[in-house]
Amino acid sequence: MASIAASFCLLGVLLAIYVALFLTGDDSPAGARRLVTRNRISLTQIMPISYEAKIRQVPGVETVMAYQWFGGVYKEPKNFFARFACEPESLFKIYPEYRIPEEEKRAFQADRAGTVLGRDLANKFNIKTGDKITLKGDIFPIDLEFNVRGLFDADKNEEVMWFNIDYLWKSLPADRRDFAGTYLILAQSAEDGPAIAQQIDSLFRNAQVQTRTESESAFAASFVNFLGNVKLYLFMISAAITFTILLVCGNTVAMSVRERVREVGIMKTLGFTNGEVLGMILGEATVISLLGGFFGCVVAWLLCRGVAANAGGFANLEGMTLSPWMWVAVIAAAVVMGTAAAIVPALGASRTEIVEAMRYSG
Amino acid sequence: MREAVIEARKLTKIYKRDEFEVRALDNCDIEIHRGEFVALMGPSGSGKSTLMHLIAAMDRATSGRIAVLGEDLAELDDAELARWRNRHIGFIFQQFNLIPVLTALENVELPLKLTSMNGKERQRQAETALKLVGLDDRLTHFPRQLSGGQEQRVAIARAIATDPDILIADEPTGNLDAQSAKDVMTMLQKLNRDFGKTIIMVTHDRHAAEYATMIRHLEKGELKPEIEYPQA
Ligand SMILES: Nc1ncnc2c1ncn2[C@@H]1O[C@H](COP(=O)(O)OP(=O)(O)OP(=O)(O)O)[C@@H](O)[C@H]1O
Ligand SMILES: [Mg+2]
Repeated sequence: MASIAASFCLLGVLLAIYVALFLTGDDSPAGARRLVTRNRISLTQIMPISYEAKIRQVPGVETVMAYQWFGGVYKEPKNFFARFACEPESLFKIYPEYRIPEEEKRAFQADRAGTVLGRDLANKFNIKTGDKITLKGDIFPIDLEFNVRGLFDADKNEEVMWFNIDYLWKSLPADRRDFAGTYLILAQSAEDGPAIAQQIDSLFRNAQVQTRTESESAFAASFVNFLGNVKLYLFMISAAITFTILLVCGNTVAMSVRERVREVGIMKTLGFTNGEVLGMILGEATVISLLGGFFGCVVAWLLCRGVAANAGGFANLEGMTLSPWMWVAVIAAAVVMGTAAAIVPALGASRTEIVEAMRYSG
Repeated sequence: MREAVIEARKLTKIYKRDEFEVRALDNCDIEIHRGEFVALMGPSGSGKSTLMHLIAAMDRATSGRIAVLGEDLAELDDAELARWRNRHIGFIFQQFNLIPVLTALENVELPLKLTSMNGKERQRQAETALKLVGLDDRLTHFPRQLSGGQEQRVAIARAIATDPDILIADEPTGNLDAQSAKDVMTMLQKLNRDFGKTIIMVTHDRHAAEYATMIRHLEKGELKPEIEYPQA
């Protein structure tokens, strides 16, 4: 049963990762309206800042903001969380779900070295408004010191740090300024999203630097893809695991049935019919795989919580969870596989002649 | 003459293994009457167990006729045979054959699950049977927590729980020490004398056979005509 539980635990985790990365978008009203524009070639390539004004011209665009993944290290490399340079004037327009006291917001917008943090993040590292924090650059060869000007609450994605992109530019050599890795766009309506994306991309089709615009959730997924073709890997691993589970289950069940052939003989001697014995074996296999699936889910759920707590706003992983339908799916898969694997050996065992079955020792 | 509960005519069992044929039982005629306690003796491989299996409807004869309690066993299908065994035969084996994951009480209750009794009645009946074999203080013990002698007594309790007419015992003392063997034999004798059970027992042990009312010998699948009456 432990092996069954372990296999289905893996299946559950994979399912949760897959769903978190590729199937869950930000379902807040503003989230559905957000688009991300990036360099067509790769996420690591940048775009000129002049694009911002051109994107703003596109009909249906309400707000545009340049933003840049900073990377870097806060105290220790293991303290991983998302750090973005942004335009403070636009940040709260694009993320209307961020709740922050008005004076903190103004203080942030007034201080070029200011920063605002999600409350979860601040709590995790025990950072308070008024503190100074330093990020050691890695992608960018500079260390930046920030004044924490405020903490905001949001529905999710709270492990994020935002600061002024101007501060980043001014800290860099002159020839490396005035770029953005990504533009975040708020469309006037969610329905216009695809059309706006298309328009933006066609705007730069003949430019030197071409763009790719997609919805925020699609972008989050491609951000993960950028780390490797995770989707394909996940799919292949899931397929391999599913296959292995079939073998493991089949083997576990077949073995446990074979161990019990003698008992089958005893039961039949006592007057149980083939059908009753078959029912018993199948019932037992079902219960065992049900329990296996359930415990697998419990472990998977704990793992998901662990990942979510440490995801640091990375892609959509902090939303990773084993939702009710996943529990049902994994447990159902366990029961179906366990029972299916039991049918052949159970039929064989239940049909064994009593005298034959009783010869099995053990 | 008392009623014949077991009547076999020209009973033959042939095991086929690939090319080989083993004639385990050869044209065996036997008649056993109600209330008899028959010990079957004979060298290893002489067909004792085979004969028992046919009498208890655990296996089917290759040819010949066997009627037990007036029922022609060849005429029942497998499911009917199963229920027939449950109702009429109690089994005791050399290996005890208890279900290891069930307690003594649950083991004894097992054959009662196939009767119309409800849970309470089953439990009361099983407790009575265990009391009869002197194990009413071991109800919740698992087989591995019992000595061999105790395990065999649980098996006897299970065999008598459904109050069958016939008890079948295949070397019931084969795995027991002398004292436990004596206890078990005394118990079987009591079941025969006081409760009127017809008992057919296979044994290699001359001492055990002395408890029976008659001893029959098998050799190479054939039943010898001589009958011993040890208590006469
Ligand atoms: N299932 C079987 N398949 C093939 N041959 C069998 C089978 N069962 C018994 N035999 C053969 O039939 C013959 C009689 O076997 P049986 O078990 O009845 O002997 P037995 O008198 O009970 O011997 P023992 O005293 O050793 O228990 C033996 O030669 C045995 O090998
Ligand atoms: Mg034998």
